Parts: sequence; C-alpha cells; structure tokens
Amino acid sequence: MGAEQVEVYLAKSRAYEIEAENNAIKGASEQRDAGIGIRTVIGKKIGFAYVTTLNEDDITEAISHSLSLAKASLEDPDFVTLPSSGGTYHKAKKLFDNKVDTLSSEEAARLLIRTIDATKENLEGMDFAIEAAISSSSSFNAIVNNLGIAMAESRTSVSLYAYPVIKEGDDQTASYEYQISRDLNDIDPEYIGETAATLAIGFLRPKTIEGGTMPVIFEPLGANSILGRGFAGAVNAEEVQMGRSYIADAYGECIASESLEIIDDGTIPGGLGTRTFDAEGYVSQRTPIIESGVLKNLLHNSYTANKDDVENTGNAARPSYSGLPRISTSNFILTPGKGTVDDFISEMKKGIVCRNTGDRPNMTTGDLSAMVMEGYYIENGEIKFPLKNTLIGINMKDLLTGVSQVGSDSRTTFSMIAPSFVIENANITSG
Amino acid sequence: MEDLATAAIEAALKAGVSFADVRIENTSTTIIEINDGVSKQSMASRLKGAGIRAFIDGAWAFGQTTDLSSSGMRKIGDSVAKLALTTKEQVSEKFEIDGPIFEDRFEYNVKKPFSSISIDDKVSLVKMIDDQARDFDKRIVSTRSVYGDMYTELYIANSLGTKVYAENSIPRIISAPTAKDGANRQRIFKSLGVRGGYEVMDTDAAKNIGHDAAELVIELLSSIPATGGSYDVVMDPILNGVMTHEAFGHAAEADNWPSHSTVLEDKVGKEVGPEYLSITDDPTLDGQRGSYEYDWEGTKTKKRTLVKDGILTELLHSLETANRLDMDPNGAARSQSFMDAPLPRMSNTFMEPCDWDVDELIQDTKNGILLCSFNYGYTQSAKGQFMFQASHGYIIENGEKGRMVRDVSLAGNILEVLAKVDAIGNDFELDAGSCGKGGQAVPTMTGGPHARILNMPVGGM
Repeated sequence: MGAEQVEVYLAKSRAYEIEAENNAIKGASEQRDAGIGIRTVIGKKIGFAYVTTLNEDDITEAISHSLSLAKASLEDPDFVTLPSSGGTYHKAKKLFDNKVDTLSSEEAARLLIRTIDATKENLEGMDFAIEAAISSSSSFNAIVNNLGIAMAESRTSVSLYAYPVIKEGDDQTASYEYQISRDLNDIDPEYIGETAATLAIGFLRPKTIEGGTMPVIFEPLGANSILGRGFAGAVNAEEVQMGRSYIADAYGECIASESLEIIDDGTIPGGLGTRTFDAEGYVSQRTPIIESGVLKNLLHNSYTANKDDVENTGNAARPSYSGLPRISTSNFILTPGKGTVDDFISEMKKGIVCRNTGDRPNMTTGDLSAMVMEGYYIENGEIKFPLKNTLIGINMKDLLTGVSQVGSDSRTTFSMIAPSFVIENANITSG
Repeated sequence: MEDLATAAIEAALKAGVSFADVRIENTSTTIIEINDGVSKQSMASRLKGAGIRAFIDGAWAFGQTTDLSSSGMRKIGDSVAKLALTTKEQVSEKFEIDGPIFEDRFEYNVKKPFSSISIDDKVSLVKMIDDQARDFDKRIVSTRSVYGDMYTELYIANSLGTKVYAENSIPRIISAPTAKDGANRQRIFKSLGVRGGYEVMDTDAAKNIGHDAAELVIELLSSIPATGGSYDVVMDPILNGVMTHEAFGHAAEADNWPSHSTVLEDKVGKEVGPEYLSITDDPTLDGQRGSYEYDWEGTKTKKRTLVKDGILTELLHSLETANRLDMDPNGAARSQSFMDAPLPRMSNTFMEPCDWDVDELIQDTKNGILLCSFNYGYTQSAKGQFMFQASHGYIIENGEKGRMVRDVSLAGNILEVLAKVDAIGNDFELDAGSCGKGGQAVPTMTGGPHARILNMPVGGM
C-alpha cells in the first residue's frame, strides 16, 4: 500500500477492580481491552492510527488512515529508521504471577475487607469513613516491524490502597497508604490499613508556620514524586533535544550532590518497569543517569538516539496501543544510602517533613513550587505538629545539588524506586 | 444500536439485577502535531465499544466490550450482572436507582464537519501556527503546535426506559513555544478549545494563537520568580476559573457525600462564602467545550447553581447520588469513554460576575499580585486542601501593575479561601481545560471575572 516501514503494536489486557466506600464494598468492574496501533513510514514521513478492537475491518481502516497521515505529514529530516533487532535480549524475570492472573473476585474482596478491618481497628472510637480499592491486571503486548523485530511479553500487577477520612469536631483530615507489585505475596492488607489509619490520626489539628529558609526531609513517597516526575522528565532526550529541559546543556557535568546516584534499570527481576524490550521492541537495559553527581546519560528511544548518533537506551514508552512511542523511565532508581526518616528527624534542629506532594517543576526553568500535601514541622529533633497551607519553593538544580543525605528506606511507587532524602535548604511559605 | 443495547440490558435483568445501563460509543479523533516545522505526530483513532453497568441493592458492577454483536452484548450483560450479584453479598448500604426517563435523538450539526476537511488542510493549519510562533522573534528556539479534533456518536439506554442518541464535536488548537535568552529558558502553553466543527479554526483567536503564545513567552523572558509570602491576590478570569474548579467544584461533586469525603458535607443550604459570591456549573452554554445535552447516564442536563449569594444550594449529581441524597438529578454524570463508568463531574464552571471595574480593582490593591492563566491545579476534597499554579503574573505596588513574575503557586483550604474573596469584577471570560478524576479526563471550561482574595500564601523560589 506504499509504506516503506511498518510497525504493528498489539495489546490486550484484563483489569479487575473492587472498590469500597464508607467502610464497605460498593462495586466491582472488569475491563477487557484489546486494540492495535499501526505506525507507517514513507521516506522521512510518519503516520499513526489505532483502533480499540481487533476486528479485521477496523484494522484495515486504521492501516489506511495511518498511510494517509504519513503521506500528508511534513518530512522529519532527523528521522532515520525504525529500530531493527537490538542484539541479545535478556528475558525479563518475575513479570507474571499466576496468583494475580487467576485472582477470584471472592479472594480480592477478602483482601479488601482485611484492609478495611485493619484500618478500622486503628481508628476505634473515632468518626471515620474509609475508602479503599484493590485492582489487578494481566496484560499482553506484541510488537512486530518489517525490520526483524518480533517480540511479545505478558505481565501482571496488583495494587491495594486504603484512604481513611477522619473527623474530630470541626477538624477533618485524611491520609492513605498503598502497595503495588507484580506479585500478590508482596501485598500486605494489615500493613496498609494500620499505616493509613495511624498517618491520618497524625494529621489532625494541622497548623501553619512562620515561613523562611529551612531544610526539608522528603519521605520516600515525596522523593519518588519529586525525582520520578521532576527529574526523570528532564533527562528525557526528546525534551533535551527540543531545548525544553532545565538540564539541557549539562551533559557530562556535575549537576547533583555527590551523595546522589540514579540509575534507570529495565532488567531488575519483578520491577514495575521491567521488560525484555521497550515499546519499539528494542532491547531493555541498565543505564546510569547520575554517578557521583555527574550526568552520565539521557534516556533515549530509537528516534532521539539516531538524531544524536548515540546508543539507544531502550526507553521507548507508549500508552498501550493508543499512541506513538515517546520516552519514559523503566525502573528509575535512587541508590539507597544510610538512615531513615526517623534518624533524619532526630538530627534536625528546625525544618519540615514532606510525606508527599502532587506537584511537578516547570520542566523548562526547573522552578518547583510544591504543596506539602502531608507533612510535619520539626523542632529540636521532634515532630511538633502537622502542616497545612504550606509550600516548598526551590529550583530543581539547587535541589539536586542540595541533597545532603539519602536514606536506606527505599520503596516502590508508580513513578520510581527511591528512599527518603534531605535537602539542606528551601524557601518555605505558609499561611 | 438500540437492538444491541436492549440485548445487553435484557440479559442483565434476566440474570437478576434491578437496574442496568449501556453506553455504546463510536468516536473518531485526529491529532496533528508539528514541532519546529516538522511533523511530530500525525495520528488518527477510532474508539468503538460498549460499557455496561448492572446494579442491585447498593452493589454496582461495570464491564466493557468491543464485541458489538447481539451475542457479544448478551454475554457482557449477563457477566456484569453476575458480578453485581456476587458483590451484593458484601455491601452494607442498600438503595435503589430510579430517575426520569428520556427518549431523544440529538444531532449536533456543525458548519464544517472534521471529516469534510482533508488531512493536508489540517497539516497546513498547524504548519501556519508553528511558523507564526517561530517567526515572531529570533529568541523563540523551539515551537510545538498541536491540532486535535474529536467527533463522538453516543447511544445511552437503561432499564428504566431511557434511550438517547447524542453527538458531540470538539476541536482544539495549541501553541507551546520555548524561548531562550542566554541561560534563561521559558515556555508557555496556550490553547483554544470550544465546541463546534472545523469552522472554529477560521476564527481570529485560533488563527493567531501562535503569535499570541510567542508574544507571551518573549515577555516571560524578562520575568522574575515571585518572592514567597502572603499577598492580596487578584486573579484573572482564567485563574479564577481554576480556583473555582479546584477549590470548590470538586468538593461539590455529590459522590463525596455517601463516601463522607468532602469538607462541604454539612454545608448544604448553609453559607460557604460572602453574599456577593455565586458559582455556576452550566453545561447548556452554547458552543462551549464542556457543554452537552445529555450526560453519560442519559439524563437531560441543566444549569447548576452551586452557590447562590454565598449559600451552597446545589450539587453535581449522577442518578446514584440523586437517589441516595434524595435530590433531583441534574445530568452531571460523565465518562471519558465507553471504557469507564460515569462519575459526577463539572462542565463549564465559573464564578458569576459582580460589580468591580477591573482597573479600579487593581488600583484598590495596595500591595498584591495579579495572577494570570494557569499551569495546573489539584485538590483533596476530604481534607479541603487545594493548590494551583498561575503561569505568570504581575506584582502590584500601590495600585499599579509592575514587574512580571512566573510560575506562582497558591495553596489553601476550601472553607477558608471563599470567605477571603473580597472583590469580584464585572468582566467575564471562559478558558478551555481538561479535568481529571478517577483516571478519567473530560473536556471542561473554567472561568469567571477578575476577583481578589485577601491574604493568600503564595509560594516563591
């Protein structure tokens, strides 16, 4: 039909979820998704189309749309080729857990009820409402192109959370805990319930503080969110090539504190980002990003690697069949150091703890203004009270060089694997 | 589509549930993205399938299929019903689903349907916007321009007797240039999204978006980061819309009531702000991105007066929340696609204008900050906590607009912030947005007049 290169990405998944609201189960859903995305290349022009079915007529329409789009596109002089076979693949391990794949609705409901019960037990005598959910999924994806790539893999994942809301007089607060894994054995409903409840109680009666410059302890969730979103996006080669990243000109330079080591590793057994091949079928690998504070590598897919004439790091990522490959981390890992949040608190004269934030920096300037979604004020080595209406202001470049300690308490989240860390100084506004 | 929907609903009822509904969707989209004069993304998609819910005694089940045959629909109807029946054993609060019945066929006629425009024409438009931004100033080092269109045919039916067919058509155009001067890099995002056909792209606002974005990003090069502290904040209409949406709208979604997860729980019929404050969510506005005739449960939609003269008067309802709270349904249940169950959502949300002249409002502000446009925002209704970020702003000194500042964040508490709104302008503007909840994004508009909030914590570098 006129294409010189073609790539087909097929994905199928089954996701199952049970939700609870106000301390009881409320609903269940089962989603079966299957679709196909077609990338076609004519010269240096690329088209893409996808459809949410595997019906032959729909696929034919998608192929024809993909070709018309390629024909109408403006030539990209930097495009070289789709990837060909990436050498020796290392078969990813522990991606699929049969127990997750065959989890029955009754068993899932039991895990959820155990979570709710554990949360309740720790909130006895209080006015509370617990929201919780368990989700499991099994997915399969396959990539084939006309340059010899033909790869397929299956994986599972399961996650469970509890979100208790508590009221005391005029005060109302909430907190949460969750776990996510490819392996059902890693999920501990009692831990989740107890932690969520204990945390929520600790956030009652929050206060504002006198603003100023002070150190910040990021707990593992906050660390994951700051680095997993705020730094991973900056080492995306596409953003750097387009001049949109705050570390744009820093390749090979010292950009972070010596205590910071960050690796992207798509090969660790059972990791949430582990895969034998990336979203273009290219071999998955381990890529050092920061070593002793020096920026060693960027994250590449085939397009950006060809454009810079460097090695493809196998970081192509796409939202299932419904999009073109962009760039993302696999398992983005901050190497653990020494100590825990409690140790850091006990050593601090005056500062704050940020358990989590929903914010991300301006990726072009690096300016970060992050709300402390959950956090505490510390004085003389002790937590004084929880915080409200408090913002942390710092540029990401200063944050990276200002890391004074990295903890050993690593945890896995959707975005990264990181322990807690401490930064020497940030501008705190509260009011 | 009626036969397919009936097949699923009948199979579900036969399995023993008391209520079932079906959404059958056929959506086609196009995205044309050009970066630095080169095609980055030329994409077409078709979303085709059905989402089915079954309900009994307080237990919901949801499933979806892309097998749009009678047998496929019967199969999913039956399996979703069985899932609801299993779940029923574990629910603690029993309630029923009832609601008004609608039968209608709504065709949304536009002057220029997306399918009547060639891909070449769409590519030329984006190329023109991209060139426009780049040619504005030599300090523009990178350009990103995106056109998107989405045309949806949706059929909704339920076991009460509702049968509604509705169409929607929404285009969008975005310009996001990056400028550089020495080591100083700045980026801006400007978008135009309204409801209509391709004719929207013939308007001046669409045709000049590359120029307008470039002008702003060059101005940003001379901005400085804001100094943190408490300020009297004047919000422009766009940022006011984001504040209204994040700091209030989400907390007024009625699914927060059964789950006890909003700080507004005890406030219905009570004061939540000053008497000159009114907040409206109106999906019936002509030609707006958040507008629709029927929601994704097939309920005819209407204007919602959330706050009237400072009093919380109405919430955003699905059939479930209207039943459980014993209030009238108002057609606020929306889904991102057939793959998702409907949730109570906002549409076009805004603060109603009042009497302040904007220039006088700024002159009246001795030491403050004028904040404009937005990068993003989010909220936690259960804690009453929210945060949002303006893309840029201007320091106000002695009633005069001064130095430009950028990326200014505000954090606050829902119940505290509305009480601090002390002056509301007489102007009005709405801006295109996209709202996320429970992993689902739906098109929305937010806006209002200029308004001032006293003594707000503003984050700085």
